[in-house]
Amino acid sequence: MNDPYQVLGVSESATDEEIKKAYRDLARKYHPDNYHDNPLADLAQERMKEINAAYEQITKERSGGGGRSGGSYGGYGYGYGGGQQYRSSGSATSSVLQQARMAVNSGDLSRAEALLANYSDHNAEWNFLKGVICYRRGWMDEAKRYYETACQMDPDNLEYRQALNFMAGGPRGAYRPGGGPFGTEVCPGNLCLDLCCIYSFCGGGGYFCCC
Amino acid sequence: MYGYVRPPLGTLPEEETERFRRIYCGLCHTLGRRYGTAARFILNYDFTFLAILLSDPTEESFCKSRCLVSPFRRRSFQASSGALELAADESVILAYWQLRDGAADYDWFHGLKYRGISEILEPAYRRAASFRPGFDERTRCQLELLGQLEAERCPSIDRAADAFAALLGAAAQEVGDPVRRRVLEQLLYHLGRWVYLVDAADDLKKDAVSGNYNPVALRFGLASGVWTAEARREFAATLDHSIHMMTTAFELWDFGVWTPVLESTLYTGLFQVGKAVLDGTFQAVRRGRIRKNHKNEEETT
Repeated sequence: MNDPYQVLGVSESATDEEIKKAYRDLARKYHPDNYHDNPLADLAQERMKEINAAYEQITKERSGGGGRSGGSYGGYGYGYGGGQQYRSSGSATSSVLQQARMAVNSGDLSRAEALLANYSDHNAEWNFLKGVICYRRGWMDEAKRYYETACQMDPDNLEYRQALNFMAGGPRGAYRPGGGPFGTEVCPGNLCLDLCCIYSFCGGGGYFCCC
Repeated sequence: MYGYVRPPLGTLPEEETERFRRIYCGLCHTLGRRYGTAARFILNYDFTFLAILLSDPTEESFCKSRCLVSPFRRRSFQASSGALELAADESVILAYWQLRDGAADYDWFHGLKYRGISEILEPAYRRAASFRPGFDERTRCQLELLGQLEAERCPSIDRAADAFAALLGAAAQEVGDPVRRRVLEQLLYHLGRWVYLVDAADDLKKDAVSGNYNPVALRFGLASGVWTAEARREFAATLDHSIHMMTTAFELWDFGVWTPVLESTLYTGLFQVGKAVLDGTFQAVRRGRIRKNHKNEEETT
């Protein structure tokens, strides 16, 4: 295993508080919520395991090798506990849609798509699953439209509603270093000033040719 | 590409802006050495960003020399490397096909400018295509597909953006490490999607006048080229989802010395440019600034 201090990006002389802060920041960054339905979620999960293991090791070492350190590291234990898995919402769900969910869960989007293409009943769940596939492929606008249809067909379904709210509102709660707001309409900053800096550093020559 | 991907240099420490300048100059020198002076004029921030993504996590050795832009003072720049050569080759291929694409969009007279520049770039393109035949083929196919979607006035912003996004994602094809390749493919796909959509949003007014194909106008019913509050909110959300995909990919690979520049570009620069485009101020800022540059030059001569 890698040096646990290196994994958390802190020096060995860091205080307990600094270590806890570094751990919490990394845990927020690689949290399953930040990688929900992300095609790279498996990599984030590996990183999360590494961070958890590093934090646990340091905690043990610092508490004299025996057990946890009396609750001072209460933040420990973020993880991927199956939150990415889609479960069929009702017992009446067709086996084809169940298979499509399983294919989505295993990351086999082509298979999931093929299953949905051969399924003629375009019900709420069918639309929801189409939305999930679109999202994973990066077709964000189509994903939102499928989620909308799923919600119209089954307004009481919490899973569909959550997916739609996330798509429509944008990833507002996404991780951003320093904890600032995430979004085109909410990010502070003055582009004008920054552009001035860009153009001045090319020595005034400005040989920009944007094609 | 179009110069939309830029780090917020005003907020970065000097050490980082210098590093960014060195690779910007390094890409320019690599283009010049491999393809001649004319090819250096395709250089822009988007291609520099591509070069950074393809670079090793440590900076290669530096060189120092004078150039067109700095004829008196020798400036340091990043020495040519495998990553810079790859970025230079792919930049030439992308620039060439986009110029050809631009020429096809206009009638004989109005397409002259694009045809002229693409002919100047032709020898460079042939060389680049011989170095990277796979990327050249992919770029040609994807832009052809994009041309078809434009011709049938496809109203799906995802489908239209996908054609461009997939070709940019292909820029990572030659990356050896499988994890790094996955990360870069995802990042570049959404970078391509974002650039395509922001460019379409930037052209809303112009296309409303000319009647040219604009997927954003078609999708949100903005025939007049003016945003409605609802459409703007929806469009910003779809941009933000792509930026989120880029940032989550970025966090899964160690970009070493390039981390601060990449982090500030992805988490701040893209938001700022996107907002300026939505506000309709992006072009004005750019044009205003260029005019100011000319004015300064006149004053000093």
